[in-house]
Amino acid sequence: MSTAIVILALLAGAYVVAVLEGWAATGRFQPAGPALDAVALLGRESVVTRSSDRIFFEVGPVLLLISALLAAAVLPLAPGLIITDLATGALFVNAALAYVMVALLMAGWGPDGVYAMVGGWRFLGQLVGYSMLIVMPLTTVAMRAESLFTTRIVESQGAMWNVVFQPLGFVLFFLAALAVCFLPPFDLPTAPGELAGGVMSEYTGARLGIMRLARMVLVVTLSVTVTVFFLGGWLGPVLPPWAWTLGKSLVVAAAMLFAGRYVPRVREEHFLQWCWKYGIPLALINILYVGIVLLVVGK
Amino acid sequence: MISGARQAEPSWFHRLVARAMARRLTVFVVPGPDVARAYGLDIEAAGLQVVDTPRHAGVLLLIGDPPKGLREAAAVANAQMPRPRAIFAVGAGDVSPLPEPDLLVDMNQEDVAAGVEELRRSFAAGAFAPETEDFEAEVVREDEDDEGEMDPGHMHHDSDEEEDESDDGEDEGDQNDQDLDEPEEKEVGEDQLEDFMSMIEMTEGMPASGDGLIMEWVPAAYGPLFPGLPGGLSLVFTLDGDTVAETEVEPGIEGHSPVEILYGPVERIAERAAKLDSLTPVSYGLLIQRAIESTSGTRIGEEEALSRVGALERERAASHLGWAASFGFLIGDRSLSRGAGRLQIALLQAANVGEVGRIKGDVEDFVHKTLRTPLLGSKLGGIGIVDGSGAENAIGPVARAAGFETDARSEDPAYQDLGFAPVVRDGNDALTRFQLRLEEIRQSLNLVLEAGAMAATGSTDSDDSSGTGTATVETPRGMAALRVTLEDGMVTNVQLDAPSMCNVRLVETVTMGKEVADALAGVGSLDLSPWEMSG
Amino acid sequence: MLQTVFVALFGIAAIWFGVVVFTTSSMVRSALALLFSQTAVGAMFLAMQAEFLGVLQIMMMATEMSIMAIFMVMYMMDPGGLMGMDMTHQKRLSQAAGVLGALVVIGIVFLAGWGSIAGSVPPGQQVHDLGIELMERSMLIFETAGITILTAMIATIAVALERRR
Repeated sequence: MSTAIVILALLAGAYVVAVLEGWAATGRFQPAGPALDAVALLGRESVVTRSSDRIFFEVGPVLLLISALLAAAVLPLAPGLIITDLATGALFVNAALAYVMVALLMAGWGPDGVYAMVGGWRFLGQLVGYSMLIVMPLTTVAMRAESLFTTRIVESQGAMWNVVFQPLGFVLFFLAALAVCFLPPFDLPTAPGELAGGVMSEYTGARLGIMRLARMVLVVTLSVTVTVFFLGGWLGPVLPPWAWTLGKSLVVAAAMLFAGRYVPRVREEHFLQWCWKYGIPLALINILYVGIVLLVVGK
Repeated sequence: MISGARQAEPSWFHRLVARAMARRLTVFVVPGPDVARAYGLDIEAAGLQVVDTPRHAGVLLLIGDPPKGLREAAAVANAQMPRPRAIFAVGAGDVSPLPEPDLLVDMNQEDVAAGVEELRRSFAAGAFAPETEDFEAEVVREDEDDEGEMDPGHMHHDSDEEEDESDDGEDEGDQNDQDLDEPEEKEVGEDQLEDFMSMIEMTEGMPASGDGLIMEWVPAAYGPLFPGLPGGLSLVFTLDGDTVAETEVEPGIEGHSPVEILYGPVERIAERAAKLDSLTPVSYGLLIQRAIESTSGTRIGEEEALSRVGALERERAASHLGWAASFGFLIGDRSLSRGAGRLQIALLQAANVGEVGRIKGDVEDFVHKTLRTPLLGSKLGGIGIVDGSGAENAIGPVARAAGFETDARSEDPAYQDLGFAPVVRDGNDALTRFQLRLEEIRQSLNLVLEAGAMAATGSTDSDDSSGTGTATVETPRGMAALRVTLEDGMVTNVQLDAPSMCNVRLVETVTMGKEVADALAGVGSLDLSPWEMSG
Repeated sequence: MLQTVFVALFGIAAIWFGVVVFTTSSMVRSALALLFSQTAVGAMFLAMQAEFLGVLQIMMMATEMSIMAIFMVMYMMDPGGLMGMDMTHQKRLSQAAGVLGALVVIGIVFLAGWGSIAGSVPPGQQVHDLGIELMERSMLIFETAGITILTAMIATIAVALERRR
């Protein structure tokens, strides 16, 4: 039962995020946009490129969707509203998100096209940058909660949200989340100006629809992840818990979509440099800081 | 022909899908959104959504009269578009080898918007029509036949261990052992594939990149319809991974010769000159005007001179805004791209100097905000550097960004009266060129307001004059020089030095050995126009 | 019972993917097949209720095998496998080594003293126990492993830089 509710909530969230993205990209608010796009895509001819790696071509978008859904499966939307409360929930989120990269590699290699291939391998480079930054803040979050259960992580923020308790971790995790769902300014795999759509360039019809849906679900999943780990999940006065999760996730998703509008795409080498030279030391400092605070002050 | 993918009677599902498609028309623009904006067309406002790959598009939008090379490229793009697809021609003439356009309208915003409405109706009604035709074109078939076969190298059976400059020392050691251990296996069974795959032998003779790693080099075409680059510019990068190993740029567009356009009677030559480069029609119209005037030695009045200054500067500002829009799209800064595009169209549609004055405030804000874009410095700093001799031979804003004060406007008395001084920066990279062009936008708008008029008039009477005349004009991309010979009112000889022909030589310096995104940003920063290049 | 079925299924999947690694001529397919083979092993861990180990295996193998994929693309010709070259060599030696290795492992499996099987360990308890183990008995192992890997990374970078000079 809660599985169905969570999945429906995810899809509804994905729709809202798609509307937001349309708004961010074109400056116009079109609530019916994604629905019309989806229906229109269903009718398009499905094109398979010559000498494509058929397995990868087909599996890529589907794996992207599955990995986003799996990551969302361990996130609580309200107390009791979770698909599966794994004891290693926080780690499982990361494990599922690793397959985003595998999916994009497949989508890049599958079509046998230069733009897609460059886009796919670029994302691997991007992963080398963000993968530490998305795991290390999770360490500090788990340190405070003394558990990897996502529900306990939310409950541990009762006194103070993690965004206040460990702001550095929040900033790093937010940036890494932007990089995972390859939103601008980290949209290296799909760079519209440089790679004509990159990994998505050779997909048409229903497969493109799945890929776009998967991307939206990924954005929603990451927004909920940020909310659960750093913004106190369902905690809050007055409103019912699910409303709090919904509201906070929407704010995070909007921030993620609108943040990159005003900034040029990051250069691959700069991204790697900044992540490894500044990001990782900052993450380590964050761990040290949180550790000291926890030992000295308590939770 | 708007045709569905299958021949079938349209069912309720098809009708639903067709109606959805009609509401959300996605369009791929030929030759490019920059050309559409230069004509003053706002495609997004007309209700179409511009996408950057033909595979996501449902409508192929042809702007103007594309020359043969572009029509063939458009045919390939058309073949790549998934059906149902349509061809929407705006002001186009003959479109072979493409099929007949589904809709043909004139080149103005209202007609385009009306055309879009009509296109929606056609889509909703006929997207899954029972009649479907395959799209056959010679050029598409040729493309299929010579798709590059990757040559992975040969498999050698000889057991020489060449001392290779390859750095894979460990591999070489293993191979040595291997060949010693199993010498007899080579005699056994010729049909058996060789026992050991020596990477060194296999990659013999293949070009190596700077770090000694030998990978397959992949040719990647960036043009002529690539959405981030100027429409019509044909680049072929040979990519070594994601680094550019070799560059080939085609000077000009096949089927479009800027020089031949000018031949003919003197009468309507200004119109013909405007067709030379649809991105900067005023500059070229003015150029030929001045050249003709110099043959007959006519002098123009001060008012006329100021008016010409206004027209030229307005076009310069619009051209730089259009460049900023394309460049913003290339580097992934959406707000820059949209803001600049909107301002360019507004500026081009301004009817008089008063309206330009009203736009000026917005433009100033835009320039101010753009110069402060965060991370712009890190994105563009150090990109597209043209070293030493290349910078000296550059022209236009590229040269001015390298510290050279070359500007043809400094010689013009009308400009000197207005107190003109060229904007010069010293940085010689893409960031400097970007900042310089934004500064020039500001400067140009100020000049327009000071000039007070912006109509480029002056007629060329067919007075059977003969003679030779030269003229120069500082187009937005650099100085263009024209030498024209008239005989009895007919233009018989034309020599054109266009700025892009000069700057196109810098493409190789700017792209070699660079990561593909940086290479594209470098090429974009040169602001080339393939229309004024003659092959 | 159900657990045995799942473990068997995932085990067969792991073996099948492992075989695909060698039978395909596409480098990238080979690398990703190895990836999914390891994922199947991770799923086996999950089915055997070793939750932390399973999740860790799944997470790490995704990243590692993808990096292996790009290295294969960089160093090998014809990474797409379209020319159908046979990339296996030293066949007899490999087969012998494989069979020998399998016999040794099977021997270990049946002859080693594994202790009593825990009925079921709540996953939360597992995570806690793993943490305590890391901090007490196995701390030295992980510390030295970490430092060794870091040293290797720094050495690799230093060696690569020196060559370019």
